[in-house]
Amino acid sequence: MHALKLLAALAAAVLFHLLGMHWLPALANLVDVFLVIVVLYALEGSSLAALFAGLVVGLLHDTLTSGPYGLFGFADTIVGYTTARLAQRLVIQRSTGVLALVSFAAVAQQAIVAGLAFLLLPAPELPNPVWVAVRAGVSGILGMTIHIATINWRRAAEARRRGRMSRLRLG
Amino acid sequence: MVDERRTGWVLMVVLVGQLVFLAVQGSRQGHTVLERIGLRVLGPPARTIAGLPNNVSGLRESLRSRQGLEDENRHLHREVEDLKLRLMQLTDVENEAQRLGAAVRHATPPLGRIRAVDVVYVDHASWLRTLVIYCGDVPAEVNQPVLSADGVVGRVVTVSGSYAKAQLVTDRAASVGAMLLRTRRQGIVRGGGRGSGGLELDYVPVQADVRPGDLVLTAGIDGIYPRGIPIGTVIAVEPGGQLFHKIQLAPAVDFGALDQVYLLEHEPVPQKMKEAAPSARP
Repeated sequence: MHALKLLAALAAAVLFHLLGMHWLPALANLVDVFLVIVVLYALEGSSLAALFAGLVVGLLHDTLTSGPYGLFGFADTIVGYTTARLAQRLVIQRSTGVLALVSFAAVAQQAIVAGLAFLLLPAPELPNPVWVAVRAGVSGILGMTIHIATINWRRAAEARRRGRMSRLRLG
Repeated sequence: MVDERRTGWVLMVVLVGQLVFLAVQGSRQGHTVLERIGLRVLGPPARTIAGLPNNVSGLRESLRSRQGLEDENRHLHREVEDLKLRLMQLTDVENEAQRLGAAVRHATPPLGRIRAVDVVYVDHASWLRTLVIYCGDVPAEVNQPVLSADGVVGRVVTVSGSYAKAQLVTDRAASVGAMLLRTRRQGIVRGGGRGSGGLELDYVPVQADVRPGDLVLTAGIDGIYPRGIPIGTVIAVEPGGQLFHKIQLAPAVDFGALDQVYLLEHEPVPQKMKEAAPSARP
């Protein structure tokens, strides 16, 4: 079930990214929807599942970039695992906590990618710090919005289920 | 606790594996199986989305009245007539150049054919800089030049079935053998980096005459791009180190307006000719 959810989320992320890049070419600077998927998945899953989710999502993201293949795979693996471990230790109840976590993950991911690029490439080009901050903020807001929408959807589904159950009892 | 320890070991193994994978990739020549699979998965949706109108105004454009299309058709007909005339003039010039070349037995490599292909994904704005193209039944080849009507776009670095990924000339890691049209002085064009979207021309000695406005073309010395394709225009010349100018270029191509590019099918310099000459034997 978790794997299916991840696949559906990944398909939606790919669609969002491709459509966004088509209509707004600067989107790649503004938000990292793949990272948002990794963090939100890691908040719910086990650290092992989050680790592999990060790996798969990161490698897919690598397909859409021109750097060495595996930079985002490496970074997202760490981000997925670390987020899952954090979620096991901290109780993140407020949506602002999700915002902070996604933003922090975005900065960490960019730092890891930049560090790897610095180690592996002869003439590495480091990301602009301003864009890193913008990207972290927007990714955080997107993560928070999806988190709130998911909670509301679950509540509504639960309410519907209870309503059906009560009707069955009455009937 | 035991599970977490096991997960920690799995993490270490995965990370070390990825580091080894990254380290052995070396120069990126498009032989990564995973990347080719990814390109096969993402190519078709990217191609479908590339066929959508570009924005709201594009949508309006696509729903334009028949009158507008007829006007455009007439305008294009006129342009085609003008271009035909220009082609006739240039054919005369070409014939004359060929006659002169033949008179002095000047051997020039064949120019090759161009093939139009669709751009299905482009990210020129961020520091990642990627271009994915759909090549149809005839796949592209690694290192094949990618051009637009305005000049050099880049070269193919990864091929997966009908899809190929190109490295843009604005990529920091890209380099092109170049020359200044006015003085024929040669140098190396590199991506400007730092999100500038510009280019730099390196290894032009300080003694060389370079001015803003000078056109820069491919020199045909890198074994990939043939000679004479526009790369950009000099916009600034500053004193660099002790030996070379620091020259900034504006690319000839507007990377934000690419929806179709051309693959140049020409015979590159054979690999064995590029390899180091064997050491002399007594």
